[in-house]
Amino acid sequence: MDKAISFEQVTHTYQANTPYAQNALADVSLVIPNNSFTAIIGHTGSGKSTLVQHINALLKPTKGSVQVLGRVITPATTNKNLKAFRQHVGMVFQFPEKQLFEETVIKDIMFGPKNYGVSDADAQQAAKSAMKLVGLDQSLAEKSPFDLSGGQMRRVAIAGVLAMKPEILILDEPTAGLDPRGHKEIMDLAQQLHDEDQMTIILVTHQMDDVVNYASQVVVMDEGKIVKTGTAAEIFTDPGWVYKMQLNLPSSAEFAQKLVDAGVPVGKLPLTIDQLATKISQLVAEGADTDE
Amino acid sequence: MKDIIQVKNISFNYADQPLLFDNLSLNVHEGEWLALIGQNGSGKSTLARLIDGLNVLKQGQIIVDGLFVNDENILDVRNKIGMVFQNPEDQFVGATVEDDVAFGLENRQVDRKQMHHIVESSLKNVNMWDFRDRIPANLSGGQKQRVAIAGIVALSPQIIILDEATSMLDPRGRQDILNLVREIKAKNHLTVISITHDIDEAAGADRVVVINHGKKIDEDVPDKIFSNTEQLAQIGLDAPYTSQLIAALKRKGVNLNQQYLDSERLIAWIKQLVSNK
Amino acid sequence: MSNFLFGRYLPGNSWVHQMSPQSKLMLSFYFVIVIFFANNLASYAALAVLIAIVILLSGVSILFFLKGIRPLVWLIIFTVALQILFSAGGTVLWKWGPFSVTNLSLINGGFIFIRFLLIIMISTVLTLTTTPLAIADGVQTVLKPLKKVKFPVDTLALMLSIALRFVPTLMDEMETILNAQRSRGVDFGSGSLKHRVQAAVPLLVPLFTGAINHAENLSTAMEARGFSDSEHRSKYRIYRWQLKDTVSWLVFLLVGGLVLYLRK
Repeated sequence: MDKAISFEQVTHTYQANTPYAQNALADVSLVIPNNSFTAIIGHTGSGKSTLVQHINALLKPTKGSVQVLGRVITPATTNKNLKAFRQHVGMVFQFPEKQLFEETVIKDIMFGPKNYGVSDADAQQAAKSAMKLVGLDQSLAEKSPFDLSGGQMRRVAIAGVLAMKPEILILDEPTAGLDPRGHKEIMDLAQQLHDEDQMTIILVTHQMDDVVNYASQVVVMDEGKIVKTGTAAEIFTDPGWVYKMQLNLPSSAEFAQKLVDAGVPVGKLPLTIDQLATKISQLVAEGADTDE
Repeated sequence: MKDIIQVKNISFNYADQPLLFDNLSLNVHEGEWLALIGQNGSGKSTLARLIDGLNVLKQGQIIVDGLFVNDENILDVRNKIGMVFQNPEDQFVGATVEDDVAFGLENRQVDRKQMHHIVESSLKNVNMWDFRDRIPANLSGGQKQRVAIAGIVALSPQIIILDEATSMLDPRGRQDILNLVREIKAKNHLTVISITHDIDEAAGADRVVVINHGKKIDEDVPDKIFSNTEQLAQIGLDAPYTSQLIAALKRKGVNLNQQYLDSERLIAWIKQLVSNK
Repeated sequence: MSNFLFGRYLPGNSWVHQMSPQSKLMLSFYFVIVIFFANNLASYAALAVLIAIVILLSGVSILFFLKGIRPLVWLIIFTVALQILFSAGGTVLWKWGPFSVTNLSLINGGFIFIRFLLIIMISTVLTLTTTPLAIADGVQTVLKPLKKVKFPVDTLALMLSIALRFVPTLMDEMETILNAQRSRGVDFGSGSLKHRVQAAVPLLVPLFTGAINHAENLSTAMEARGFSDSEHRSKYRIYRWQLKDTVSWLVFLLVGGLVLYLRK
């Protein structure tokens, strides 16, 4: 199977038929290939969270259908059948440490697998390898999660999702509030899960540098619609459009834009620091040539 | 230049925990923008709380604009300091935007008529007057922080402390809030202490203090602090973007004799290099 | 859940919206008292007409309003059914073991049902047209006389206002936690009672932990903003008694008199 997820003309309306009704998704169609690393970007309130919650069957489409790993969900799908959808889709919510509740770290991580009927022994095994994966020392296993630091709690929560061995992993702003070191560690973990464990990763983020550094496909949302899909290079070619979407440029593109504004002919905006450095070194060499 | 805040040989620990600060001293000059940087857990937020008297010192003294921070002076000290905290949700006391800005004024028993004037001008100052009827649930994180800043402006303090005030915002909201504080600082001649692990936020400061495990390990202008990229890496902080670019250029054979320049100067240098060589 | 109206505020500028909160609050209390004086069809009908007019004047569509209180109606029907089945007296119409239905218990049950419905309706109108803040202020005004006996009225009002202000925050958080645990395979709202109680733990523990965190941070923030005690503060808002309040009171008093006249 080469597509992990597909949306067909999905519309989602919150609180339909009430004065509070809000269209959160409007006629969205999208394919996410298996083992891809997809970044979903868009300003706050553009519909990113609503979109990903459909992948995990936390929301059902008001219209249209969503297909996840061969299973189809439509407005008519009954709530009873939703659990099966979720087993293979892990979701790390924003500030996931808020979901911790067990007495010990290991119990909290085992919670997910056990809900899906995994035996105690197997769940423990899964929990231990998940702890290793997220870089939590085994000595923390019997501690209360509430005694850990914020960064460690975040890892426990992520381990709790990974212990279910999902095929698709959704990360909703997984690094919000972390310091630079914590940020890099979490993002590298996502990359490792993608490269080594063949997971399909979906990253909801505001960090454009992460989009450039990690994602193979980018989906841009605005007002409940998908307004563009493509590689990071395709998305960030037009700075004016990016700003219109109330998004930022990646740091290097932004810096390059400043160079352009200052009269340095950078040409096509580079996305990474290496591309920018290469471009500048070329310009320096050329500048030296023309001057002679 | 006057030191508006003097932290003198303080020691502090939370109950049942090892000493966080051991004989720490630090001065904040009047009118400067001081960035306190360090990893999560380095003690930088605790320091802010001690300055505002929200935690009680074990040893040492803190003096804010001539007043010792102690029980007796606490309300006067807090009149001089406005704090913006990390979580936008948890500092919104009022039921609506207006009421929240009024909260601090009500605490100081300001007359109602005057209060309405102050709330209006403070909200206009942060461009939130049109939102005055909104409830917090219908505001974005950045908007809530704007309201928090309006609440501070309303009390006309001399010092603003940003306690990771932008860390829960998206990059746009972050830039937005920093620009706003910069504007207000200039207009009202304030002193700003920004506690952050965002290096690019710190790069805009007049002076930077680096805190690690409760110790002040460096204190200087950004140029000097950010030139020491090894030290930043050691304590788990990023190098500013411009330093990273300078390093990348060096790898491509374009050498600058410094490890750090702010973006304006780096752009000027590159421009000169490209056009005048 | 999403259509549920009880306790929610709907922004608007209707007649009822414009009334002062203290008067709405007192009027609701008064209405509830009058309800207990009604004891026959005519007196209940008078009250029903009054509440229908109030709903119309609140700018909310009646159909939407009825839909919004439906979940509570089920609760009342359940309570009333128990009441009917367990009360005695009158002609027995149906009997099975300890349960019986009599003509008297049916009539009584009907009245209890109407009573509950009227109470829910008036309180829903109150919350639909009055911001939580205004309700808190209304309580403060209404309870002001108690200040003379050193009752901490202002503290209570501030607590109430903050509690109400955090309701949407906590609702949001509950939603997120529900979703997070659902995606970890928890089945809320199905299975045996024991299972359901167990399923509540992963919801309630994080919810309470979160609430305590909010409380701690909030109290720090309040302190930093110069809060020391709630009895010595000035007030930003006051709600003035208006002509609309006087008119409403007159109508309500009139209907009250009518109920006394119509009752058996």
